[in-house]
Amino acid sequence: MAMTTSKNPHAFFRPYIRAVYPAAADGHAASSAPEAGRDAVFVSLAGLRAWAEETGISLRAAMIDLLAENIWPERFRRNFGLFSAAEMARLLQSRALVLGCGGLGGHVTELLARSGVGRIRLVDNDVFDESNLNRQRFCSERALGRPKAQTTREALADIAAHVEAEALPVAADEHNLAELVAGMDLALDCLDSITAKTALEQAALAAGVPFVHGSVLRDEGFCYANSGPAARLKELYPSGVDRQEEAMGRREGISALAPASVACLMVRLGLNILLGRSPDSPLLHLDLSVPELERFSWSDKA
Amino acid sequence: MKLTVKLSTTLRDCVPGYEPEAGLQVDMPEGGTVAQLAQHLGLPLQDIKIVMVNGRQHKVDDLLRDGDRVAYFPAVGGG
Repeated sequence: MAMTTSKNPHAFFRPYIRAVYPAAADGHAASSAPEAGRDAVFVSLAGLRAWAEETGISLRAAMIDLLAENIWPERFRRNFGLFSAAEMARLLQSRALVLGCGGLGGHVTELLARSGVGRIRLVDNDVFDESNLNRQRFCSERALGRPKAQTTREALADIAAHVEAEALPVAADEHNLAELVAGMDLALDCLDSITAKTALEQAALAAGVPFVHGSVLRDEGFCYANSGPAARLKELYPSGVDRQEEAMGRREGISALAPASVACLMVRLGLNILLGRSPDSPLLHLDLSVPELERFSWSDKA
Repeated sequence: MKLTVKLSTTLRDCVPGYEPEAGLQVDMPEGGTVAQLAQHLGLPLQDIKIVMVNGRQHKVDDLLRDGDRVAYFPAVGGG
């Protein structure tokens, strides 16, 4: 453990403890995990800030160090039981690319940050428009006309100041995709054109970055996880979608529900990748008009 | 042959009264294809981008069999 001070964190955090969950007595946690056999201690944000300042490291780095001692940020207390301390630390170290900060991207960003993902690169060259108000998480009346990536980053700073967030107000295209995916642990496709989505999947897989697709229309949506090597959007849309068809698609309705729910599924798939639980998924089709969720198999999978 | 057909999003506009949960029950002569079924239902072929038969992607000229469950999708590209 890279604790940069000789201070005992357990003594330091005594005034900042919000809850203590005793170590499982039944051997449930008797694994090789570093937190096994130790009480889980949940400490306040004020305490974490004080510790980070004292030790001269970032809030995020402090959270990662302390999780090795089974000292959890109180903000993640309700993540307890869903993720181990080691998994929480892994999420805090992970880098996610969110391409598109509209309907899917806003919800995806919020859910990644609240789940614990520690580094997020936001890309969008658009500004919020009144017609976005029915479905886009960070579109508010006050935000109309403001850049989506920057507004989303500001919202993120308000929700989770420890997250290392970058906002890039650029249009993703074949020229910069390789640069945008470089160094990422995960690329989440929240773009609004099949052509751009297809290019992102190819760029991500070429760079060895796992890809999570999401798309919505009316009350429905698709998503899947793909760690390669086969690019699935090319397979789904073998003849592609032309410019006119893309333009027609942008005039179609998209409900408030579809992006929010597809974003949940995308983040689930993304967390599964980041935690090494599952690198791929079938194609999931969510129809909120019923509602129902259907799985489709890929041609080369059982 | 008897087929179950599910339509996605904008393709539902082509079949008035379409019920998303039940889909459509269609009776068709043996030997029909995915494209012939679409024509029979009045779905514009150029708008159909993805076809799933019994949970797997198929091409428009693939033959259908009795009991097949067919789902038609347009381009779903919104973000």
